[in-house]
Parts: sequence; structure tokens; C-alpha cells
Amino acid sequence: MSAVSSSSAALQPAAPKVLSARYMAWYRFSRNPAAVIGAFIVTSVILIAVFAPLIAPYAEHVGSVVNFRARHLPPDLEYLAGTDKVGRDILSRTIFGFRISLLLVIGVLGVSVPIGTILGLVSGYAGGMTERVITGLTNIMLALPPLVMALAIGNVLEPNLTNAMISVTLLWWTWHARLVYRVTRTVASEDYIEAARLSGASHMHILFREILPNCVAVISVKTTLDAAYVILFGASLSFLGLGVKPPTPDLGSMVADGRQYLPDMWWGVLTPGFAIFYATLGFNLLGDGLRDMFDVEA
Amino acid sequence: MLLDVKDLNLSFRTYGQTRHILKGVNLQIPEGGRVALIGETGSGKSVTSKAILGTLPDTARITSGQILFDSEDILQKKAEAREKMKGTAFSIIMQDPLSSFNPVFRIGQHLEDVLRYADIRLGEVTNHEDRIRRIDEVLQMVQLGDPERVRKAYPAQLSGGMRQRVLIALALLHQPRLLIADEPGTALDVTIQDEILNLINRLVDENGLSLLMITHNLGVVRQTADDVYVMRFGEIVEHGPIGSIFRAPKQAYTQQLVEAIPALYGERVKEQPQVEVLEGEKPVIEVEDVSKIFESRRFLRGKSEFKAVQNVSFDVFRGEVFGLAGESGSGKTTMARMIMGIMEASTGSITIDGHTRGLWNKDKDLRKKIQIIYQNPGTSLNPKRTVRQTLSVPLKALGYDAQKIDARIRELLNYVELPEHYMSAYAHELSGGQKQRVAIARAIAAEPEIIILDEPTSALDVSVQASVIKLLQRLRDELGLTYLFISHDLSLMRNFCSRIAIMRKGQLVEQGTVRDVFENPKHDYTRTLISAIPVMTEEEEQQKPEVSAEVRAQFLV
Repeated sequence: MSAVSSSSAALQPAAPKVLSARYMAWYRFSRNPAAVIGAFIVTSVILIAVFAPLIAPYAEHVGSVVNFRARHLPPDLEYLAGTDKVGRDILSRTIFGFRISLLLVIGVLGVSVPIGTILGLVSGYAGGMTERVITGLTNIMLALPPLVMALAIGNVLEPNLTNAMISVTLLWWTWHARLVYRVTRTVASEDYIEAARLSGASHMHILFREILPNCVAVISVKTTLDAAYVILFGASLSFLGLGVKPPTPDLGSMVADGRQYLPDMWWGVLTPGFAIFYATLGFNLLGDGLRDMFDVEA
Repeated sequence: MLLDVKDLNLSFRTYGQTRHILKGVNLQIPEGGRVALIGETGSGKSVTSKAILGTLPDTARITSGQILFDSEDILQKKAEAREKMKGTAFSIIMQDPLSSFNPVFRIGQHLEDVLRYADIRLGEVTNHEDRIRRIDEVLQMVQLGDPERVRKAYPAQLSGGMRQRVLIALALLHQPRLLIADEPGTALDVTIQDEILNLINRLVDENGLSLLMITHNLGVVRQTADDVYVMRFGEIVEHGPIGSIFRAPKQAYTQQLVEAIPALYGERVKEQPQVEVLEGEKPVIEVEDVSKIFESRRFLRGKSEFKAVQNVSFDVFRGEVFGLAGESGSGKTTMARMIMGIMEASTGSITIDGHTRGLWNKDKDLRKKIQIIYQNPGTSLNPKRTVRQTLSVPLKALGYDAQKIDARIRELLNYVELPEHYMSAYAHELSGGQKQRVAIARAIAAEPEIIILDEPTSALDVSVQASVIKLLQRLRDELGLTYLFISHDLSLMRNFCSRIAIMRKGQLVEQGTVRDVFENPKHDYTRTLISAIPVMTEEEEQQKPEVSAEVRAQFLV
């Protein structure tokens, strides 16, 4: 545009085009190899879990199959990852193990994230006594050692998947409550919140329509990173015998089983151990990538 | 010619897209010359200065052109040689006096580090005592009376004006030949800004420096430059000696820019008519003897009190534009928040249209009557909500149904002169002026009678400011609004308000019609304030009230 002919353009300047936030976020994400790898891993884990019956070479080995003739076989063409102490295909059981891990993730985060988010929003916005009670409770819960709590709950109640989920959920909401509380405090002091209040918006409107959308980025990053920790934590619980009951295949208990025959029968822990590592790594990379993409701290 | 920028082209590469930022920029600064580079946000003036200094970000690339300093192209020099020029050949006075310092180091440490590394680069050996002596000399040059106290202070312990002086000292440590000033004093109050500009002028004169002044304020340009370059979208639109640019700008853009500057005195002042007040008519806002005291209790230290507003009284009548002027810390925003009902007055009473003001959430009737427009449209619109969503909030509170809301939003966008397709836009897709228009639409949505304008244009460029002010005036006439206009920009108030009150440190020092206050200011502070405003012409300069140095000194912090 020439400067001389700008008399009419002066009112409607041909200023540089504004890039949309979505484009910039996608650009940051797609240029980050770690994030793309993370997204690929997480997608593959989800696909494996969903289509487990189709993928697993010996889907029936998930149940209580016993085939003593084939026990403790090292990896070969028939059993790609070897067999366990009762002759079941470790690869098939690992593939199904992803299902339990994801189930745990969905169960734990599906309950604890909404609870934590709501408590964080309310405590950050309301202030006063409400704030003190909720943040106080959060701090007390955070001071409890999670594994000890889980052991206690597992011992009082019956050790199974549901109870494991409950015990993890009971502790997990605190992290989200804290995070959302912090973001809410910042957002609530912005002019646009005051402007909405002065326009006559209700508290519900402000919490869920004005503040919550500003927390979404932080929550999704935190939730993705949390998925990795929940998988690890779930595996630890099953390793300690507090998770699912046999014969359901679970990555943690498979490692625990295989551990007894180390180091001679190394394949017993290799595949389930690698599966835990793979899923955890994927969620961690994806979470980091999302953090860069949204440009938030979580 | 000391500096000669020839046909400089520069592009940025961000998000996979190349943007041509500087388009054939030509700029010349003679030895000992004072040159101003003016332009609005995004015009490329700061990028130009960074290209000269060699502090461009990695994403920038100079595609063609030369920057000759003493007839040598500095773009061809090796990185090491260019590094040596920083601080000695040219140096920059930074814009923001607070964020330019690391808060955990003392001022003396900042200055000494700069000096030591510059000495090392130049291959000179110096010791601590020697450096301190030189620092003290420079601090005295920038009129910081007690160099030792300044050196030992942490950045937060100095006032804004003092920090700006230290920044100037930082630029002068090595006697550069070209001083680049990037919006100096913009963040400071007008009285302090005036002092800073005088100081820069004196330093340039006494030391024979050349000056490149980068600013958007044309009044500042008149005070500190002889030649002017006008920049827009990366191009130099027009350049020439200051007199011809200001008196007879050739390009439409320059004309528009000059016209947009509110005048303080003379024919260009747009006198606002006084509102006729009928016999016995009650003011719509009555502020009576209001004080606000903030108490802070510190652990083991007892109570401390801060009087933000002290015994302030004024009346605003229907249809007026009442200006509340003052520098930072004068209590004008606190006053506004009390009228809004966001805060309660400690003593005294505020009456709005016959009702005593209570806190906003207990006072549903008043809430509809009075609205506010904030200073920064960037923070007063929720980034995650569209224009439609933002505007529907006050309408939902009125109980409108979806169809009625939609119709009213169209009507509101019409009022603020925005096309209807902006309904689905998010805040970041709008320019500063457009955002402020959305904020105005939100404020008038519920048909209020009074609108508090809290520096509604101070975050905007002058040409945008002019159009927003025009819009506000039109809305006042069409909708019969009353404005309480809070600002530190006295020249704008001269052209927009019908009456004005001046506040200082929580007290109201003077009030009256704008004409009276500007033509015959009574209080010394008002006189000081008016005399410090940068103006565009010599005639205006002469009509400003005379203030002696002693009187002025008394109001400088």
C-alpha cells in the first residue's frame, strides 16, 4: 500500500492480519516433535485398549487359561513376548492390561477433576470462610501420604479395582483444586469479571461462563500429565496386591508376577514394564506439548 | 551525517509466515541533530531503533538496506565490533522505568555491571573506586542529588521519576554520540515527564549528543526535536523540519494525526457548552464531604492508615461531562469506585439521583443507572468470550429472551459503529479501538443514565482516541447520558468536559468550568499541571500559566 494514497485507507488501516489463536496454538504444537510423538503414543494406547480383542493373538488368555506345557516359554514366533507361569501369552495380556490402566485413568480423573475444579473455582471466587475451609481441607489431604492411604483403604475394604479407584480419587482432586484455585484468584481480579458483575451477571454465570473457560487450558494440561501419574500409581497399587484381582490382566500385577522369576525369565516383566513406560511417557510428552501450545503453567 | 539509514527492509518470520515489517525506511540524523520518529502502535518505530542498536529478536531478518554510522555500514560489521558500539557509539533510554531493573539488585550494582562489562569490551582496565566515581558523576549529571543514597537503594525504593533518571544515567555512562530515547517518561505523570524531557534536552545540548526521539506524543516532539519522521505500517510517510510538518502536513495521514491531537489553547479548542441547570434541579451525582481511609494491619506493627480521598465534595448535573483530573495516586479512581458502589466511603455521603449510594450488590436500582468503562479494553473483555456473549450478559440480567437479546445486540453494535459480523469475534481479533467500542456497547446495553469513564482512551493511539471520543459525544447526545470522566490527560479534558475538578493526594484542589480552570487557574498545583502539558505549537506554549521553579519543585515528588 502506498503511503500517498492512504487518505481513505487511513480510517480502515490495512494493518497486518491478526493470526487466530487456534492457528498459533496448532503451529506451536505441530512444531514440537515431543508433543507430536506424545500424541501418537497416546492415540496408539487408546486404540490398542479399544480394539484389544481384535489385536491380541490369544484373546482367551485373558481369562483363567492354564496351559502348563507352554509355561515360561521365552519369546518366539508363536508367543512374541513369551508366556507366564501358567502358560498364558504375555503380549495378549499386556494388550488387555492397557484397558485396565485406561479404565483407572478415566475413573479417577473423571471424578476427581470435576470435583477439584468446582472446589477450586468456588474457593478462589468466594473468598472468606469458604476459601479458608476448602484450602485448609486441601492442604490436610495433600499432607497424607497417598500410598499409605491407599493401603489403609485397601486393607479395610476389599482390595479390588473399584476400591483402588476410590482411594486414588480421594487424594487426587486436591491437586486440581489447588491449581484451579490459583488460576481463579488471578482471573477473578480482572476488570472483565468486575464488568460482568456490574452488568448484573449471577455468581453461577461468572464461575462457569466467565472464569471456567479461562481455566480450561490449565486443566487439560494438568489432566493429561495426571493420566501418566495415575497409570503409574495404579500399577504400583496392583504391584502391592491392592489392584485388580487375578486373572484379570493388569500391568502392575503382571510385573509383580514376573518379578519372582527374575533374572532368568526376564520376559515376564519386560513387556508389561515397557507398556507402563510407554503409556506414561506418551501422556507426559503430550501434556508438555499442550502446555507449550496453550502457553500456560500447570 | 552521523547516522544514515538507507532503504532498510526488514521482515519477521513468526508462525511460519513472513511479515514485511520495515519497508524501505530512510532516516538521517546529522551530527548534533535532534530527530523524532513518530508513529502509532505497530508502525515499526521501535523495530527501527532495535535495528540500529543491533538488538533485534532472532525472528527478524534485514533483507536489504544499509545503516551507516559515521559513513560505515554497521550491518556489515562483525558481531564483536557491533557489540562494542553499544553504549559508546549509541545507547538507549528505556521506556519502562520499573521493568528495566532487576528488583533484587541495588541500583549501584546495575550501573557498575554495565560500566564494567563495557570497559572490558573496550579493553580498559578499571577498578571499583574508579567506577563508583564515574557513576556518581553521571548520577549528578541527571540531577540525582545524593548519588550515594541512590546507588545503595533497591529499584523499588525509588520513585518513578528517579528510576527514569537512573535509566538516563545508564545510557550516558560512556558518553555515547547518539542517544535513542524510546518513549521516555510515557509511563510517568505529566509533571515528572516534563522534567525528564527538559533534562534530556539539556544533556543533549551540553554534551553535544545527537538524539533520536521515538514517541507517539506530538507535544513531546515539539519540545525535543528539530526534524520529524512520521512512520506508518513500516513506511516513512513524511519527513521534514518540525515547523512545516506541524503547521502544513502534506500527507493525509500526518494531517489526520495532527488534527487528532487535542489542543490546549487557541482556535482548535473544542469548547463544550455548559449544561443549563434549571432552578431547583437536583444534581444527578452529589458527593458530599467524602473520605476514604485504607487501614492496613501489620503483624506486630500496629495499624497504619492511608487517606486515599479526603473531604471531597462535588456535584454533577444531568447531561454534563464532568472531568475528574489528577496524577497517579491522586485518589480519582478510588473516588470513581465509591461512586460505582464497588467500595464504601469511610465518611461522607454519595447521592445518585436522589438515592444514597450503597454497595452495588445491595442496590439493584442504582446498578442499572450507572455503568463504567475501563481504561484498558484488553483486560475489560473476557478473552474466552465472543462479542455476542459479552454483550448478552447485561441483557440476560434484564430478563430479555433470546430473540430480543439478538436484536438489541445488533442495535448496540450499530450504536458503536461496529459491523454486525463482529458478534462472533473474540477480543484478540479486535483492535484496541474496536475492543473499547465493545466495552462501550456493554456499558450502554442496560440503558444507564450515568457512565463513569475511567481513562477510556489512555491505552489507545491518538487517532483512535479521537474517534472514540467522537463516539462518546454522539452517544451522550443521542441517549442523554451523563459522564464522569476520569483522566490525567488535561488537554483531552479541555476539549471533552464541561466542568472539571483537579485532585491531588486525595484532596480536591480546584473545580470549575473548563474555560475558567484553564484560562485562569487559581491553585498553584493546577498551574503547575497545565504548564507541564506538552503542546504542539509555540502559541499554546505561551498561553500556558507561568510557574516559578520553586512552585514547581514543591509539587514534584
